[in-house]
Amino acid sequence: MSSAIDCSKLCPEWPCEQPSEFKNVWVVIEADESGLSEASLQMLTPGRRIADKLGEKLVGVLVGYRVSHLAEDVIKYGADEVIVVDSEALKTYYPRVYALTIVELARKYKPSVIFIAGTKRGREFAPYIANTLKAGITADCTDFDVDVESRDVLLIRPPFAAILLAYIKTPFRRPQIGTARPNVFPVPARDESRKGEIIFENVANISEDRMKLVSRRRVSRGEVGIEKAEVIVSGGKGVGGPEGFKYLEELAEILGGTIGASRKAVDAGWISEDRQVGQTGKSVKPILYIAVGISGAAQHMIGVREATRIIAINIDPEAPILSQADYSVIGDYREVIPALIEELKALKEKGPEAVEEYIKWLREIEGKR
Amino acid sequence: MRIVVGIKWVPNTQAVRFDPETGTLIRKGVPSIVNPHDLPAVELSLRLRDVVGGEVIAISMAPPPAAKGLELVLGMGVDRAILVTDRVYAGADTLATSYVLAKAIQKIDSEIGKVDLIVFGQETIDSTTAHIPAQVASWLELPYVYYVKEATVVDGGRVRVVRELEEYLEEYELELPAVLGVAVRAFKPRPVTLSMKLRSKIERRLIVWTNDDLKLDPRCTGLRGSPTIVAKTIDMPEVPRRKEVFKPRDAKEAARWIVAKMLEDDKLRELLYRSLWGVRG
Ligand SMILES: Cc1cc2nc3c(=O)[nH]c(=O)nc-3n(C[C@H](O)[C@H](O)[C@H](O)COP(=O)(O)OP(=O)(O)OC[C@H]3O[C@@H](n4cnc5c(N)ncnc54)[C@H](O)[C@@H]3O)c2cc1C
Ligand SMILES: Nc1ncnc2c1ncn2[C@@H]1O[C@H](COP(=O)(O)O)[C@@H](O)[C@H]1O
Repeated sequence: MSSAIDCSKLCPEWPCEQPSEFKNVWVVIEADESGLSEASLQMLTPGRRIADKLGEKLVGVLVGYRVSHLAEDVIKYGADEVIVVDSEALKTYYPRVYALTIVELARKYKPSVIFIAGTKRGREFAPYIANTLKAGITADCTDFDVDVESRDVLLIRPPFAAILLAYIKTPFRRPQIGTARPNVFPVPARDESRKGEIIFENVANISEDRMKLVSRRRVSRGEVGIEKAEVIVSGGKGVGGPEGFKYLEELAEILGGTIGASRKAVDAGWISEDRQVGQTGKSVKPILYIAVGISGAAQHMIGVREATRIIAINIDPEAPILSQADYSVIGDYREVIPALIEELKALKEKGPEAVEEYIKWLREIEGKR
Repeated sequence: MRIVVGIKWVPNTQAVRFDPETGTLIRKGVPSIVNPHDLPAVELSLRLRDVVGGEVIAISMAPPPAAKGLELVLGMGVDRAILVTDRVYAGADTLATSYVLAKAIQKIDSEIGKVDLIVFGQETIDSTTAHIPAQVASWLELPYVYYVKEATVVDGGRVRVVRELEEYLEEYELELPAVLGVAVRAFKPRPVTLSMKLRSKIERRLIVWTNDDLKLDPRCTGLRGSPTIVAKTIDMPEVPRRKEVFKPRDAKEAARWIVAKMLEDDKLRELLYRSLWGVRG
């Protein structure tokens, strides 16, 4: 156990509390009309693991309006207990109302750990929670662990150079708060037989009278988001301009996939920001990721760690991506992609009978090398 | 209207190279820049001032070299700049940084004049946490909102903003004072002009505050006021990949190789069968 904290050494603006007063792992569960947020269910995965290592309970904290019926689901996804605040005051999302609700609950129950999904809302309200509790917070974690002896949680995140991982802890403060971007963890398997306690809480008098929602509308993006895509054809600086993405779109269409991009392509304004893959973009987990004109910077590659296979097309035989992909072709994408589209169309025409021919050809050329 | 905009002087992380021999980052000689995501925040502040009048004050908590960054934004047209710097602020995490910034903003409010709006960039390129705007809002107990891509002042007392979430476009009205986090790339920053830079030099528009001015308890700042500690760093574990590289004679051969590899690979064959013929492979 950590030794007792000497309160005279702490900032007097912080409440003086001993880490030993805190217990259990919380996951903040976001929900709206369309149900539970998948990103927050994903946080139950590391939450379960850390709770088990600590021998403590995993608690889902579900706050919103007309969300009570979803509490059972949170248990089926792995929580031991769910604390529900179902209130009309939470009907409209305001960052401070949301944050202060969690703060109130945390003051009452004293959780040792709070995990929050790094959705855009999560990234907005999480630091307000941490700051109000004067607790530490670590953003964009890619993993969590725990030092069982001191009971300190290790919040693991890449610093700006994504070739390193920093292990961060807050030994003198509780709760220990961390966020992770969507898709860094899988949604836990649902177990219909799980049982757990559901606690209803009322949080009095938290309202936002200095801010009001004027309008809210869904923006239709048309295409499938990259988070869910099985195939992503992703373009980088090497694609050279917005026209380049046209080739990639055609390839993606044949493969039933969608378009992704590197940050340089987004910065150049060739493609919208919601397509960006990487440390400051999205983490994706397609079966196939095709990186076109992308050099393979660590900050990009961290977003595709969960991709089953990576194919790279790059003109530079020295490009770092070549040693981080499964199959790489050296060549100008402006030639390779149209040829690939042709080849796939031809194969489609010929039907599965033609497959053997390809394998035979592969054996031949591999024999020659 | 008085607007305070927070900027950070950061190493140009794009220029940091990796030394594969020693396995370390080569930071030497890496130039620092104003965090690029703060420039849209500065631009928005200037635009609002240009419409409603008043002044824009840039603030940065940083070691002395960050004065250069403040000079740059003065060159964009910011009216004054305050560098908040002291040894006891060193090693701060986001909680301790936001504390100093919040206290400095309170000092501006009480000594220079009422602060109506506090504007930040969405995140920094060296820490990318996006914590500071919410944390400052928490210290000051002000309403706040992130990802702002449009903002206008209405009736003098409120700010109306448009912000974008993953699937929603939202419009909010916030009573002033309030805190905004400005979306990355939301506003194209105006250029720095030499005459503005010179004027601000002559008129001494850059001032420095140390802890003699702020008088903060050193237990609340810097390393001591930071709950988070970096326990250790390790190399990023490598993902096992096949790493097969093909140098084709021509594009046709390249295409054939990719297709053949996909057909040979259990994980990809299935996918190809499904997308081409709608059957299982
Ligand atoms: C804190 C931080 C966060 C970051 N976050 C992200 C992030 O989330 N996502 C991200 O992507 N980056 C991120 N970056 C930026 C990252 O470091 C790289 O700068 C970026 O990924 C490079 O993009 P790129 O590969 O498209 O461009 P480049 O590195 O310029 O590579 C272009 C490639 O295209 C190839 N090429 C050129 N012409 C052709 C052609 N005709 N055919 C085929 N190939 C061609 C070149 O050989 C080269 O390899 C971040 C950086 C920092 C510091
Ligand atoms: N030391 C600092 N001084 C002034 N403003 C800062 C400082 N650090 C961060 N900010 C502001 O807070 C925003 C978010 O930073 P961060 O939370 O570090 O990602 C930045 O875009 C800046 O506008």
